[in-house]
Amino acid sequence: MIDDLFLIEKYAYLKSPVHSIDARAKIVLAFSAIIAMVAVPYSTVVYSVGAIFFLLFALLWALSGLSPTVYLKRLVVILPFGIFLIFFQIFVTNPYYESFTVIATLPFGIEVYAESVEFASILLVKFIVSVSFIILLSSTTRTQDLLEGAGRLGLPAEFTLVLGMMLRYLYVFGYMIRKMRQSLETRCFDPFDRHLPYRYRLEKVAYAVGTLFIRSYEQGERTYMAMLCRGYGRESHLYITKKPMRTGDWTFLACGMAVVIAVPILAWTGLFRPV
Amino acid sequence: MHIPDAFIPLPQAAVYWGIALIFIALSLRWARKEMTEDKIPLVAVLAAGIFAIQAVNIPIPWGTSGHMMGAALAAIVLGSPFAAVFILTLVLIVQGVLFGDGGLTTMGVNILNMGVIGGFVGFYGYKAAYPLFRNIYPAAFIAGWLSLFVVALVTAVEMALAGTFPLELGLLSMGLYHGVIGIIEGSITAAAVYLIHTARPDIMIEPSKVAVAP
Repeated sequence: MIDDLFLIEKYAYLKSPVHSIDARAKIVLAFSAIIAMVAVPYSTVVYSVGAIFFLLFALLWALSGLSPTVYLKRLVVILPFGIFLIFFQIFVTNPYYESFTVIATLPFGIEVYAESVEFASILLVKFIVSVSFIILLSSTTRTQDLLEGAGRLGLPAEFTLVLGMMLRYLYVFGYMIRKMRQSLETRCFDPFDRHLPYRYRLEKVAYAVGTLFIRSYEQGERTYMAMLCRGYGRESHLYITKKPMRTGDWTFLACGMAVVIAVPILAWTGLFRPV
Repeated sequence: MHIPDAFIPLPQAAVYWGIALIFIALSLRWARKEMTEDKIPLVAVLAAGIFAIQAVNIPIPWGTSGHMMGAALAAIVLGSPFAAVFILTLVLIVQGVLFGDGGLTTMGVNILNMGVIGGFVGFYGYKAAYPLFRNIYPAAFIAGWLSLFVVALVTAVEMALAGTFPLELGLLSMGLYHGVIGIIEGSITAAAVYLIHTARPDIMIEPSKVAVAP
Protein backbone atom coordinates (compact mmCIF):
# COMPACT_ATOMS: atom_id res chain seq x y z
CA MET A 1 0.00 0.00 0.00
CA ILE A 2 2.87 2.29 0.81
CA ASP A 3 3.98 2.05 -2.83
CA ASP A 4 0.79 3.79 -3.89
CA LEU A 5 1.77 6.76 -1.77
CA PHE A 6 4.12 8.15 -4.40
CA LEU A 7 1.55 7.64 -7.13
CA ILE A 8 -1.22 9.34 -5.16
CA GLU A 9 1.00 12.31 -4.43
CA LYS A 10 2.00 12.53 -8.10
CA TYR A 11 -1.63 12.86 -9.12
CA ALA A 12 -2.26 15.35 -6.33
CA TYR A 13 0.42 17.63 -7.81
CA LEU A 14 -1.38 17.97 -11.15
CA LYS A 15 -3.27 21.14 -11.97
CA SER A 16 -7.00 21.38 -12.55
CA PRO A 17 -9.98 23.39 -11.28
CA VAL A 18 -10.63 20.67 -8.67
CA HIS A 19 -7.00 20.49 -7.58
CA SER A 20 -6.86 24.25 -7.02
CA ILE A 21 -9.88 24.39 -4.71
CA ASP A 22 -9.01 25.05 -1.08
CA ALA A 23 -8.36 21.82 0.85
CA ARG A 24 -10.90 22.84 3.51
CA ALA A 25 -13.76 22.93 1.01
CA LYS A 26 -12.79 19.51 -0.35
CA ILE A 27 -12.39 17.95 3.10
CA VAL A 28 -15.76 19.25 4.29
CA LEU A 29 -17.53 18.14 1.11
CA ALA A 30 -15.97 14.66 1.00
CA PHE A 31 -16.55 14.01 4.70
CA SER A 32 -20.14 15.29 4.53
CA ALA A 33 -20.89 13.17 1.49
CA ILE A 34 -19.61 10.05 3.27
CA ILE A 35 -21.49 10.80 6.49
CA ALA A 36 -24.69 11.56 4.54
CA MET A 37 -24.31 8.33 2.56
CA VAL A 38 -23.80 6.29 5.73
CA ALA A 39 -26.69 8.10 7.43
CA VAL A 40 -29.22 7.00 4.80
CA PRO A 41 -31.00 3.99 6.37
CA TYR A 42 -30.54 0.55 4.83
CA SER A 43 -33.40 0.74 2.30
CA THR A 44 -33.88 1.09 -1.46
CA VAL A 45 -33.68 4.89 -1.04
CA VAL A 46 -29.92 4.28 -1.05
CA TYR A 47 -30.00 3.54 -4.80
CA SER A 48 -31.26 6.97 -5.85
CA VAL A 49 -29.18 8.89 -3.32
CA GLY A 50 -26.13 6.79 -4.22
CA ALA A 51 -26.66 7.41 -7.93
CA ILE A 52 -26.82 11.21 -7.50
CA PHE A 53 -23.79 11.19 -5.18
CA PHE A 54 -21.86 9.09 -7.65
CA LEU A 55 -22.77 11.51 -10.45
CA LEU A 56 -21.45 14.36 -8.29
CA PHE A 57 -18.25 12.38 -7.73
CA ALA A 58 -17.95 11.53 -11.46
CA LEU A 59 -18.44 15.18 -12.41
CA LEU A 60 -15.69 16.30 -10.03
CA TRP A 61 -13.40 13.46 -11.18
CA ALA A 62 -13.93 14.52 -14.81
CA LEU A 63 -13.16 18.15 -13.91
CA SER A 64 -9.98 17.04 -12.14
CA GLY A 65 -8.64 15.77 -15.46
CA LEU A 66 -7.54 12.44 -13.98
CA SER A 67 -8.07 9.31 -16.03
CA PRO A 68 -10.79 6.84 -15.00
CA THR A 69 -8.12 4.13 -14.85
CA VAL A 70 -6.46 5.98 -11.98
CA TYR A 71 -9.75 5.76 -10.09
CA LEU A 72 -10.24 2.09 -10.96
CA LYS A 73 -6.68 1.18 -9.98
CA ARG A 74 -7.09 2.81 -6.59
CA LEU A 75 -10.52 1.24 -6.15
CA VAL A 76 -9.18 -2.28 -6.77
CA VAL A 77 -6.61 -1.87 -3.98
CA ILE A 78 -9.31 -0.89 -1.49
CA LEU A 79 -12.14 -3.27 -2.38
CA PRO A 80 -11.18 -6.81 -1.23
CA PHE A 81 -12.30 -6.87 2.45
CA GLY A 82 -15.50 -4.93 1.76
CA ILE A 83 -16.38 -7.08 -1.24
CA PHE A 84 -15.77 -10.23 0.81
CA LEU A 85 -18.20 -8.99 3.46
CA ILE A 86 -20.76 -7.94 0.84
CA PHE A 87 -20.54 -11.21 -1.09
CA PHE A 88 -21.30 -13.28 2.01
CA GLN A 89 -24.43 -11.24 2.71
CA ILE A 90 -26.44 -13.09 0.05
CA PHE A 91 -26.19 -16.38 1.98
CA VAL A 92 -27.23 -15.04 5.36
CA THR A 93 -30.21 -13.32 6.88
CA ASN A 94 -30.01 -9.92 8.55
CA PRO A 95 -32.16 -8.01 11.06
CA TYR A 96 -33.21 -5.33 8.53
CA TYR A 97 -35.92 -7.42 6.85
CA GLU A 98 -39.02 -9.13 8.26
CA SER A 99 -39.07 -12.23 6.06
CA PHE A 100 -36.71 -13.86 3.60
CA THR A 101 -37.51 -15.58 0.30
CA VAL A 102 -35.21 -18.28 -0.98
CA ILE A 103 -34.29 -17.74 -4.63
CA ALA A 104 -31.69 -20.44 -5.01
CA THR A 105 -30.47 -23.45 -3.08
CA LEU A 106 -26.86 -24.53 -3.40
CA PRO A 107 -25.29 -27.81 -2.27
CA PHE A 108 -24.68 -28.29 1.48
CA GLY A 109 -27.99 -26.57 2.24
CA ILE A 110 -26.71 -23.08 1.49
CA GLU A 111 -29.55 -20.79 0.49
CA VAL A 112 -29.57 -17.48 -1.34
CA TYR A 113 -32.22 -14.98 -0.23
CA ALA A 114 -33.78 -12.27 -2.40
CA GLU A 115 -33.80 -9.77 0.46
CA SER A 116 -30.17 -10.49 1.29
CA VAL A 117 -29.16 -9.87 -2.31
CA GLU A 118 -30.94 -6.52 -2.07
CA PHE A 119 -29.19 -5.77 1.23
CA ALA A 120 -25.82 -6.69 -0.29
CA SER A 121 -26.43 -4.32 -3.20
CA ILE A 122 -27.38 -1.53 -0.76
CA LEU A 123 -24.13 -2.08 1.14
CA LEU A 124 -22.22 -2.11 -2.14
CA VAL A 125 -23.67 1.25 -3.23
CA LYS A 126 -22.90 2.87 0.11
CA PHE A 127 -19.40 1.37 0.19
CA ILE A 128 -18.47 2.40 -3.36
CA VAL A 129 -19.74 5.97 -2.92
CA SER A 130 -17.87 6.42 0.38
CA VAL A 131 -14.65 5.06 -1.03
CA SER A 132 -14.98 7.16 -4.21
CA PHE A 133 -15.08 10.42 -2.26
CA ILE A 134 -11.97 9.44 -0.29
CA ILE A 135 -10.19 8.61 -3.56
CA LEU A 136 -11.27 11.97 -5.00
CA LEU A 137 -10.06 13.84 -1.92
CA SER A 138 -6.63 12.24 -1.71
CA SER A 139 -6.01 12.18 -5.48
CA THR A 140 -6.68 15.90 -5.89
CA THR A 141 -5.20 17.31 -2.67
CA ARG A 142 -1.54 17.25 -1.67
CA THR A 143 -0.91 15.69 1.72
CA GLN A 144 0.60 18.93 3.05
CA ASP A 145 -2.50 20.87 1.93
CA LEU A 146 -4.72 18.24 3.51
CA LEU A 147 -2.83 18.61 6.77
CA GLU A 148 -2.92 22.42 6.75
CA GLY A 149 -6.58 22.33 5.74
CA ALA A 150 -7.35 20.02 8.65
CA GLY A 151 -5.42 22.36 10.94
CA ARG A 152 -7.38 25.38 9.70
CA LEU A 153 -10.58 23.43 10.25
CA GLY A 154 -9.65 22.99 13.89
CA LEU A 155 -7.70 19.72 14.18
CA PRO A 156 -5.78 20.14 17.48
CA ALA A 157 -2.20 21.40 17.17
CA GLU A 158 -0.85 18.20 18.79
CA PHE A 159 -2.22 16.21 15.90
CA THR A 160 -1.15 18.49 13.05
CA LEU A 161 2.44 18.43 14.34
CA VAL A 162 2.57 14.68 14.82
CA LEU A 163 0.66 13.82 11.64
CA GLY A 164 2.83 16.22 9.66
CA MET A 165 6.00 14.51 10.82
CA MET A 166 4.53 11.10 10.26
CA LEU A 167 3.51 11.97 6.70
CA ARG A 168 6.96 13.29 5.91
CA TYR A 169 8.62 10.10 7.13
CA LEU A 170 6.12 7.88 5.35
CA TYR A 171 7.92 8.79 2.13
CA VAL A 172 11.29 8.02 3.72
CA PHE A 173 10.07 4.59 4.82
CA GLY A 174 8.36 4.09 1.49
CA TYR A 175 11.79 4.32 -0.13
CA MET A 176 13.36 2.26 2.63
CA ILE A 177 10.90 -0.60 2.24
CA ARG A 178 11.41 -0.54 -1.52
CA LYS A 179 15.18 -0.71 -1.06
CA MET A 180 14.89 -3.59 1.41
CA ARG A 181 12.63 -5.47 -0.98
CA GLN A 182 15.08 -4.90 -3.83
CA SER A 183 18.07 -6.05 -1.83
CA LEU A 184 16.21 -9.21 -0.82
CA GLU A 185 15.39 -9.75 -4.49
CA THR A 186 19.00 -9.33 -5.59
CA ARG A 187 19.84 -12.15 -3.19
CA CYS A 188 17.15 -14.21 -4.95
CA PHE A 189 14.95 -14.26 -1.88
CA ASP A 190 11.23 -14.40 -2.51
CA PRO A 191 9.03 -14.71 0.59
CA PHE A 192 6.48 -16.59 -1.54
CA ASP A 193 8.95 -19.14 -2.90
CA ARG A 194 7.62 -22.54 -1.89
CA HIS A 195 11.03 -24.23 -2.37
CA LEU A 196 12.28 -22.51 0.75
CA PRO A 197 11.26 -23.80 4.18
CA TYR A 198 8.35 -21.78 5.55
CA ARG A 199 10.09 -21.14 8.84
CA TYR A 200 13.09 -19.64 7.08
CA ARG A 201 10.95 -17.33 4.96
CA LEU A 202 9.01 -16.17 7.99
CA GLU A 203 12.22 -15.56 9.90
CA LYS A 204 13.62 -13.34 7.14
CA VAL A 205 10.37 -11.37 6.89
CA ALA A 206 10.33 -10.98 10.67
CA TYR A 207 13.88 -9.62 10.62
CA ALA A 208 12.85 -7.16 7.93
CA VAL A 209 10.02 -6.05 10.23
CA GLY A 210 12.37 -5.77 13.20
CA THR A 211 14.88 -3.83 11.11
CA LEU A 212 12.18 -1.44 9.96
CA PHE A 213 11.21 -0.90 13.58
CA ILE A 214 14.78 -0.18 14.68
CA ARG A 215 15.47 2.05 11.71
CA SER A 216 12.32 4.05 12.31
CA TYR A 217 13.15 4.29 16.01
CA GLU A 218 16.65 5.53 15.23
CA GLN A 219 15.29 7.95 12.64
CA GLY A 220 12.90 9.17 15.33
CA GLU A 221 15.78 9.70 17.75
CA ARG A 222 17.76 11.64 15.15
CA THR A 223 14.76 13.74 14.22
CA TYR A 224 14.05 14.46 17.86
CA MET A 225 17.65 15.52 18.53
CA ALA A 226 17.70 17.68 15.40
CA MET A 227 14.47 19.32 16.45
CA LEU A 228 15.79 19.94 19.96
CA CYS A 229 18.82 21.67 18.45
CA ARG A 230 16.49 23.95 16.55
CA GLY A 231 14.50 24.86 19.60
CA TYR A 232 11.82 22.21 19.72
CA GLY A 233 9.92 22.28 23.00
CA ARG A 234 6.61 21.66 24.62
CA GLU A 235 5.04 24.67 22.90
CA SER A 236 6.15 23.73 19.37
CA HIS A 237 3.50 23.38 16.73
CA LEU A 238 3.09 23.29 12.99
CA TYR A 239 2.96 26.84 11.68
CA ILE A 240 -0.13 27.28 9.57
CA THR A 241 -0.61 30.58 7.77
CA LYS A 242 -4.04 32.17 7.64
CA LYS A 243 -5.60 31.67 4.27
CA PRO A 244 -9.00 33.07 3.37
CA MET A 245 -11.43 30.96 1.35
CA ARG A 246 -11.92 32.51 -2.09
CA THR A 247 -15.31 33.02 -3.71
CA GLY A 248 -14.67 30.02 -5.94
CA ASP A 249 -14.04 27.80 -2.92
CA TRP A 250 -17.25 29.00 -1.26
CA THR A 251 -19.24 28.44 -4.44
CA PHE A 252 -17.85 24.93 -4.81
CA LEU A 253 -18.60 24.13 -1.18
CA ALA A 254 -22.10 25.63 -1.28
CA CYS A 255 -23.08 23.77 -4.48
CA GLY A 256 -21.61 20.50 -3.24
CA MET A 257 -23.18 20.74 0.18
CA ALA A 258 -26.56 21.63 -1.33
CA VAL A 259 -26.50 18.32 -3.22
CA VAL A 260 -25.17 16.33 -0.26
CA ILE A 261 -27.81 17.66 2.13
CA ALA A 262 -30.83 18.10 -0.15
CA VAL A 263 -30.73 14.80 -2.04
CA PRO A 264 -31.00 12.42 0.94
CA ILE A 265 -33.73 14.56 2.56
CA LEU A 266 -35.78 14.84 -0.64
CA ALA A 267 -35.32 11.14 -1.39
CA TRP A 268 -36.29 10.17 2.13
CA THR A 269 -39.42 12.32 2.20
CA GLY A 270 -40.42 10.84 -1.15
CA LEU A 271 -40.48 14.13 -3.04
CA PHE A 272 -37.86 12.95 -5.46
CA ARG A 273 -37.61 9.48 -7.00
CA PRO A 274 -35.37 9.44 -10.04
CA VAL A 275 -34.73 5.70 -10.14
CA MET B 1 -9.70 -6.18 9.35
CA HIS B 2 -10.39 -2.50 8.69
CA ILE B 3 -14.20 -2.16 8.79
CA PRO B 4 -15.17 0.04 5.81
CA ASP B 5 -17.81 2.78 5.81
CA ALA B 6 -21.46 1.67 5.62
CA PHE B 7 -20.94 -1.54 7.60
CA ILE B 8 -21.68 0.15 10.93
CA PRO B 9 -24.82 2.35 11.15
CA LEU B 10 -24.15 5.99 11.99
CA PRO B 11 -25.43 6.03 15.62
CA GLN B 12 -23.31 3.01 16.57
CA ALA B 13 -20.31 4.43 14.72
CA ALA B 14 -20.70 7.62 16.78
CA VAL B 15 -20.63 5.63 20.02
CA TYR B 16 -17.42 3.86 18.96
CA TRP B 17 -15.90 7.20 17.95
CA GLY B 18 -16.71 8.54 21.42
CA ILE B 19 -14.97 5.64 23.15
CA ALA B 20 -12.01 5.88 20.78
CA LEU B 21 -11.65 9.63 21.46
CA ILE B 22 -11.39 8.98 25.21
CA PHE B 23 -8.49 6.60 24.62
CA ILE B 24 -6.86 8.96 22.11
CA ALA B 25 -6.95 11.71 24.75
CA LEU B 26 -5.47 9.31 27.33
CA SER B 27 -2.72 8.30 24.93
CA LEU B 28 -1.88 11.96 24.24
CA ARG B 29 -1.59 12.45 27.99
CA TRP B 30 0.65 9.39 28.16
CA ALA B 31 2.87 10.75 25.39
CA ARG B 32 3.33 14.02 27.30
CA LYS B 33 3.79 12.52 30.75
CA GLU B 34 5.45 9.14 30.43
CA MET B 35 7.81 9.64 27.54
CA THR B 36 10.85 11.36 28.94
CA GLU B 37 11.51 14.85 27.61
CA ASP B 38 8.37 15.05 25.58
CA LYS B 39 9.45 12.65 22.88
CA ILE B 40 6.38 13.05 20.70
CA PRO B 41 8.48 13.41 17.52
CA LEU B 42 9.93 9.96 18.16
CA VAL B 43 6.47 8.42 18.35
CA ALA B 44 5.42 10.25 15.18
CA VAL B 45 8.33 8.80 13.22
CA LEU B 46 7.66 5.35 14.73
CA ALA B 47 4.07 5.63 13.49
CA ALA B 48 5.43 6.00 9.96
CA GLY B 49 7.59 2.94 10.68
CA ILE B 50 4.61 0.86 11.83
CA PHE B 51 2.78 1.98 8.69
CA ALA B 52 5.68 0.61 6.65
CA ILE B 53 5.68 -2.59 8.72
CA GLN B 54 1.99 -3.06 7.94
CA ALA B 55 2.86 -2.80 4.26
CA VAL B 56 5.29 -5.74 4.36
CA ASN B 57 3.82 -8.73 2.51
CA ILE B 58 3.83 -11.76 4.77
CA PRO B 59 3.57 -15.24 3.27
CA ILE B 60 0.66 -17.30 4.57
CA PRO B 61 1.01 -21.12 4.33
CA TRP B 62 -1.78 -21.59 1.75
CA GLY B 63 -0.19 -19.21 -0.71
CA THR B 64 -1.78 -15.80 -0.19
CA SER B 65 -0.24 -12.82 1.52
CA GLY B 66 -1.20 -11.10 4.73
CA HIS B 67 -0.24 -8.05 6.73
CA MET B 68 0.82 -7.47 10.29
CA MET B 69 -1.15 -5.34 12.72
CA GLY B 70 1.87 -4.42 14.83
CA ALA B 71 -0.08 -3.19 17.86
CA ALA B 72 1.43 -5.81 20.17
CA LEU B 73 4.94 -5.11 18.86
CA ALA B 74 4.65 -1.36 19.53
CA ALA B 75 3.15 -1.89 22.98
CA ILE B 76 5.80 -4.45 23.98
CA VAL B 77 8.84 -2.53 22.79
CA LEU B 78 7.70 0.87 24.07
CA GLY B 79 6.38 -0.66 27.29
CA SER B 80 2.90 0.83 27.30
CA PRO B 81 -0.45 -0.02 25.68
CA PHE B 82 -0.94 3.73 25.15
CA ALA B 83 2.01 3.72 22.77
CA ALA B 84 0.04 1.33 20.57
CA VAL B 85 -3.11 3.45 20.83
CA PHE B 86 -1.21 6.59 19.85
CA ILE B 87 0.69 4.99 16.97
CA LEU B 88 -2.20 2.96 15.57
CA THR B 89 -4.48 6.03 15.71
CA LEU B 90 -2.04 7.93 13.49
CA VAL B 91 -1.66 4.97 11.16
CA LEU B 92 -5.43 4.48 10.86
CA ILE B 93 -6.06 8.19 10.19
CA VAL B 94 -3.59 8.11 7.30
CA GLN B 95 -4.92 4.79 5.98
CA GLY B 96 -8.51 6.00 6.17
CA VAL B 97 -8.15 9.50 4.75
CA LEU B 98 -5.36 8.98 2.23
CA PHE B 99 -5.85 5.40 1.08
CA GLY B 100 -9.51 4.70 1.83
CA ASP B 101 -8.52 1.57 3.76
CA GLY B 102 -11.06 1.52 6.57
CA GLY B 103 -13.69 4.21 6.60
CA LEU B 104 -14.27 7.63 8.01
CA THR B 105 -17.37 6.96 10.10
CA THR B 106 -15.85 3.61 11.04
CA MET B 107 -12.46 5.07 11.92
CA GLY B 108 -13.58 5.23 15.56
CA VAL B 109 -14.38 1.55 15.67
CA ASN B 110 -11.15 0.67 13.87
CA ILE B 111 -9.09 2.73 16.31
CA LEU B 112 -10.95 1.06 19.16
CA ASN B 113 -10.30 -2.43 17.75
CA MET B 114 -6.77 -2.31 16.44
CA GLY B 115 -5.33 0.47 18.58
CA VAL B 116 -7.05 0.16 21.94
CA ILE B 117 -8.01 -3.52 22.11
CA GLY B 118 -5.01 -4.70 20.06
CA GLY B 119 -2.62 -2.61 22.15
CA PHE B 120 -4.09 -3.46 25.55
CA VAL B 121 -4.51 -7.18 24.84
CA GLY B 122 -1.00 -7.31 23.36
CA PHE B 123 0.55 -5.49 26.29
CA TYR B 124 -1.27 -7.26 29.10
CA GLY B 125 -0.99 -10.60 27.30
CA TYR B 126 2.76 -10.06 27.29
CA LYS B 127 2.80 -9.07 30.94
CA ALA B 128 0.68 -12.04 31.96
CA ALA B 129 2.63 -14.57 29.88
CA TYR B 130 6.09 -13.38 30.91
CA PRO B 131 6.10 -14.90 34.44
CA LEU B 132 4.98 -18.26 32.99
CA PHE B 133 8.02 -18.64 30.75
CA ARG B 134 10.56 -16.25 32.33
CA ASN B 135 11.47 -15.51 28.73
CA ILE B 136 10.32 -12.58 26.60
CA TYR B 137 10.03 -14.43 23.27
CA PRO B 138 7.24 -16.92 24.06
CA ALA B 139 5.50 -14.06 25.87
CA ALA B 140 5.79 -11.86 22.77
CA PHE B 141 4.45 -14.71 20.62
CA ILE B 142 1.41 -15.15 22.84
CA ALA B 143 0.85 -11.39 22.96
CA GLY B 144 0.96 -11.13 19.15
CA TRP B 145 -1.34 -14.11 18.66
CA LEU B 146 -3.81 -13.03 21.33
CA SER B 147 -4.01 -9.42 20.15
CA LEU B 148 -4.97 -10.43 16.61
CA PHE B 149 -7.36 -13.18 17.73
CA VAL B 150 -9.24 -11.01 20.24
CA VAL B 151 -9.49 -8.10 17.79
CA ALA B 152 -10.95 -10.49 15.18
CA LEU B 153 -13.58 -11.75 17.64
CA VAL B 154 -14.48 -8.23 18.75
CA THR B 155 -14.82 -7.16 15.10
CA ALA B 156 -17.20 -10.08 14.51
CA VAL B 157 -19.31 -9.05 17.51
CA GLU B 158 -19.44 -5.41 16.35
CA MET B 159 -20.51 -6.43 12.86
CA ALA B 160 -23.22 -8.63 14.39
CA LEU B 161 -24.44 -5.72 16.54
CA ALA B 162 -24.55 -3.59 13.40
CA GLY B 163 -26.61 -6.29 11.71
CA THR B 164 -24.22 -6.59 8.78
CA PHE B 165 -22.82 -10.05 9.55
CA PRO B 166 -24.37 -12.87 11.59
CA LEU B 167 -22.71 -13.58 14.93
CA GLU B 168 -22.02 -17.33 14.72
CA LEU B 169 -20.66 -17.24 11.19
CA GLY B 170 -18.63 -14.12 11.97
CA LEU B 171 -17.11 -15.55 15.14
CA LEU B 172 -16.38 -18.84 13.43
CA SER B 173 -14.85 -17.49 10.23
CA MET B 174 -13.03 -14.52 11.73
CA GLY B 175 -11.95 -16.57 14.76
CA LEU B 176 -10.66 -19.52 12.75
CA TYR B 177 -8.91 -17.42 10.12
CA HIS B 178 -7.26 -15.07 12.55
CA GLY B 179 -6.51 -17.88 14.99
CA VAL B 180 -4.19 -19.20 12.27
CA ILE B 181 -2.97 -15.82 10.98
CA GLY B 182 -2.35 -14.89 14.61
CA ILE B 183 0.31 -17.61 14.81
CA ILE B 184 2.19 -15.75 12.09
CA GLU B 185 1.65 -12.36 13.76
CA GLY B 186 2.90 -13.92 16.99
CA SER B 187 5.97 -15.51 15.39
CA ILE B 188 6.93 -12.29 13.64
CA THR B 189 6.36 -10.26 16.80
CA ALA B 190 8.61 -12.66 18.74
CA ALA B 191 11.33 -12.69 16.07
CA ALA B 192 11.21 -8.90 15.67
CA VAL B 193 11.43 -8.50 19.47
CA TYR B 194 14.43 -10.86 19.40
CA LEU B 195 16.13 -8.72 16.74
CA ILE B 196 15.38 -5.46 18.55
CA HIS B 197 16.48 -6.94 21.88
CA THR B 198 19.76 -8.12 20.33
CA ALA B 199 20.54 -5.05 18.23
CA ARG B 200 19.26 -2.27 20.47
CA PRO B 201 18.70 -3.66 23.99
CA ASP B 202 18.51 -0.10 25.31
CA ILE B 203 15.24 0.70 23.58
CA MET B 204 13.47 -2.38 24.90
CA ILE B 205 11.82 -1.87 28.24
CA GLU B 206 12.40 -4.90 30.51
CA PRO B 207 9.11 -6.62 31.33
CA SER B 208 9.88 -6.53 35.05
CA LYS B 209 10.26 -2.76 34.92
CA VAL B 210 7.27 -2.09 32.72
CA ALA B 211 5.22 0.77 34.06
CA VAL B 212 1.49 0.27 34.31
CA ALA B 213 -0.71 2.81 32.50
CA PRO B 214 -0.87 6.51 33.42
